[in-house]
Amino acid sequence: MKPRTVSFTQRGFDFETFMWFFTRVSALVMYALALTGLVGALIMGARTQMNLADLMRWVFTPNVTHVQNTNVPDLAPWTTSFWKLVASAFVFFATSHGLHGLLSVIEDYLTLPWLRRTLRILVLLLTLFMIFVGVYLIWTS
Amino acid sequence: MEVTLKIFRYNPEKDKKPSYKTYKLEAVETDRVLDLLEKVKGYQDGTLSFRRSCAHGICGSDAMRINGMNRLACKTLVRDVGTRITVEPILGLRVIKDLIVDMEPFFDNYKKVMPWFINNDPPPEKERLQSPEARLRFDDTTKCILCACCTTSCPSFWGSDEYLGPAAFVNAHRFIFDDRDQAAAERLKIVNEVMGVSRCHTVFNCTLACPREIQITKAIGELKMALVTGVLS
Repeated sequence: MKPRTVSFTQRGFDFETFMWFFTRVSALVMYALALTGLVGALIMGARTQMNLADLMRWVFTPNVTHVQNTNVPDLAPWTTSFWKLVASAFVFFATSHGLHGLLSVIEDYLTLPWLRRTLRILVLLLTLFMIFVGVYLIWTS
Repeated sequence: MEVTLKIFRYNPEKDKKPSYKTYKLEAVETDRVLDLLEKVKGYQDGTLSFRRSCAHGICGSDAMRINGMNRLACKTLVRDVGTRITVEPILGLRVIKDLIVDMEPFFDNYKKVMPWFINNDPPPEKERLQSPEARLRFDDTTKCILCACCTTSCPSFWGSDEYLGPAAFVNAHRFIFDDRDQAAAERLKIVNEVMGVSRCHTVFNCTLACPREIQITKAIGELKMALVTGVLS
């Protein structure tokens, strides 16, 4: 039997559906990033030089500030642009993932259209601001 | 046994705000809640208003909140809900009187997904044949009786009655996955709109509320997958 399919143009694009899909994918991407941080840290010697709390801090935000107070003797491998990119990606995906969750709460529990619109804009601005501050700190620390 | 029935009462022509009235009546454990409501209306308070029609779980008229859960009064036995029973109208729709709500927004949303068969090919001499496997693809969603138990148990629908709601999605699913139908793309476009499936947060209230035991959240999940992949079978 020939499979029935509907093309992308026929289905149409909707921002809400895109965000719904993005939220699912961003969660998976965050798992992949955390795994990258964990494996990377273990390769760089975390098994003997870090305790679990420091390791977890690094896994979820691979920033050198989480390594400075550990027993790691050489910080050079932990400060490369690659880890800054991973940390920036984490900030972007985590914040935009949370943004969609917050928007869902606003849509479900606020019935006043003007309040809903105002809060949507506020949340969007807040998200952009948080991503900017987060990425700025990662690249300048 | 004696049953205490606490019923939501509201007559917008007389009452400033809704209230609850309590009735005590004799019942057996196999009595249905609908039987109790009939007894109250027939013997204790003729002003009580509620919808009912077939009284056998097919017409879907008597959906109401029984002990906090959306159910059909004609399918709910006393033994399932105990001797202290609270009956209220379903949520998210305007109360017209007592347990009767305005179903217009619900049916407006239902109509939006074009819940009818569309095939522009000339009809064959006999019926349009379909394999048992192809029929099985949407078997579950053919069971919907439009009682609104699912839609009115959904928090997204409580937030906005413009949200199409589970019942509309169930009926969209019934035709989108029917391989004899030719309007799947149009329907997918409709459920892909701002107030469409993306507003479903997988709360599962609809599945729990459905008196026909349709796997509604699963059906909505299949619609979401069809929107992402474009694959229908």
